[in-house]
Amino acid sequence: MRVVLPLVLCLTLLVLSFAPLLAADDFVRPAAAAQTGGDDFDAEFDDDFDDDFDDDFDDDFDDESEAQPRPLIADPLEPWNRGVFLVNDKLYFYLFKPVARGYRVVPRPVRTSIGNFFSNLSTPVRAVNALLQLKVRDVGTELGRLAVNSTIGWGGLFDPAGYSLRWKKKSEDFGQTLGFYGVKSGWYLVLPIFGPSSVRDGAGLVVDQFLDPLLYADIKVREYYSLRALERVNALSLDADSYEKFKRDALDPYLFIRAAYAQHRLANIRK
Amino acid sequence: MKRIFVPLLLSLLLVSSLLWAATGPTQQIQQIVDTVLQVLNRTDLDYAAKRREVSGLVQTHINVQSISQRTLAVHWKKATPQQRERFSKLFVQVLEATYLNRIEDYSGGRVDYLNERVKGDKAIVDTQFVSDKVEIPVQYKMVREQGIWQIYDVVIENVSLVRNYRSSYGQIVSSEGFDGLFARLESKLAEPPVAGKKQ
Repeated sequence: MRVVLPLVLCLTLLVLSFAPLLAADDFVRPAAAAQTGGDDFDAEFDDDFDDDFDDDFDDDFDDESEAQPRPLIADPLEPWNRGVFLVNDKLYFYLFKPVARGYRVVPRPVRTSIGNFFSNLSTPVRAVNALLQLKVRDVGTELGRLAVNSTIGWGGLFDPAGYSLRWKKKSEDFGQTLGFYGVKSGWYLVLPIFGPSSVRDGAGLVVDQFLDPLLYADIKVREYYSLRALERVNALSLDADSYEKFKRDALDPYLFIRAAYAQHRLANIRK
Repeated sequence: MKRIFVPLLLSLLLVSSLLWAATGPTQQIQQIVDTVLQVLNRTDLDYAAKRREVSGLVQTHINVQSISQRTLAVHWKKATPQQRERFSKLFVQVLEATYLNRIEDYSGGRVDYLNERVKGDKAIVDTQFVSDKVEIPVQYKMVREQGIWQIYDVVIENVSLVRNYRSSYGQIVSSEGFDGLFARLESKLAEPPVAGKKQ
């Protein structure tokens, strides 16, 4: 039962991810542009200093595409996405935020530990995806963290591996793995509750669900989703209202968050 | 007395401008950061007072022309001189307002200077903001004009502000024209500043 919903989502997204190929002409250009838009990250990565500056310069002044600046991510579904964005916005202000506020009566150290616990549980996602990208060192870090934090760290409640040993976790997921092998982000997607994503990263999210130990734990469906909800609310309670700040400062929060998401993902994939 | 005063003032100005010119990109960032942190760390000031102290300070270290041009990109070429000027003026104020709104988030922390790369009149300074809760990489992109290093982009956690603004403002200009953009910038500036946390 727990597997059905992710499976359906996965199939939908897979179908969606092939749809762009059919409408190739419409799709390829912005996607390619989004790719070249990341030139200076590339350059930075290679430590190719000259390119970094020059690309930045090209990017700004010698852009030949007269009509539009390069989009960071293609967004043909913008009207739909904006709808979901609005729903998420309302959900945030009328549901998640009040709940997270109330939940803040739980002392911060406890909430940090709960966050650590869930983070430790999601080690398989990071380790497997690091492995898929042949990042042997990161796999080692993740396994080391799991071993240390699960034992000395009281079953993942504390993070001695991060604090004492400076073994820092690195965000990895299946979307990044796909990106690592050259799969483009595809269209921008705003997912209900989950927020900014793309066709690629949404599909990745679904795949990563199967690496979640809770899915295989001997718990009821309701308990599973309660734990997921706890994870979200806990994370939100630790966050310093960053969504609200984004929203307040941007002329158009939808556009600002879309651009930030696209840049953030590009950077993560290149790391 | 008056006769001495003017040359004295002039020579002082000259000396200070020479000192100014001699500072490298990292030193320049360090100066700005230290000045701001000094204000933020003061316990005798409330949030509003800190805001007043810091306001205007950062503006002087931003290369307004460069940051505006980079933000509008292709639209800059099409803009009239009046439009460019108006945009620059509004944009800098919006940038500052955004920056000042962030003051309330600060609750201690330090800045580590990791790396500096200079090529001609451009420089990239890598820093990291470290507090007990977070470690945030912040990169400053700078350009030297008349011997002074000025900021033209800030990259926070690999997200370039200019790129972000370019992408969103670009779409606004495309769909609503410059007037639409100006109207939005102005209404953003008309919003009351953040009240700040209760002390």
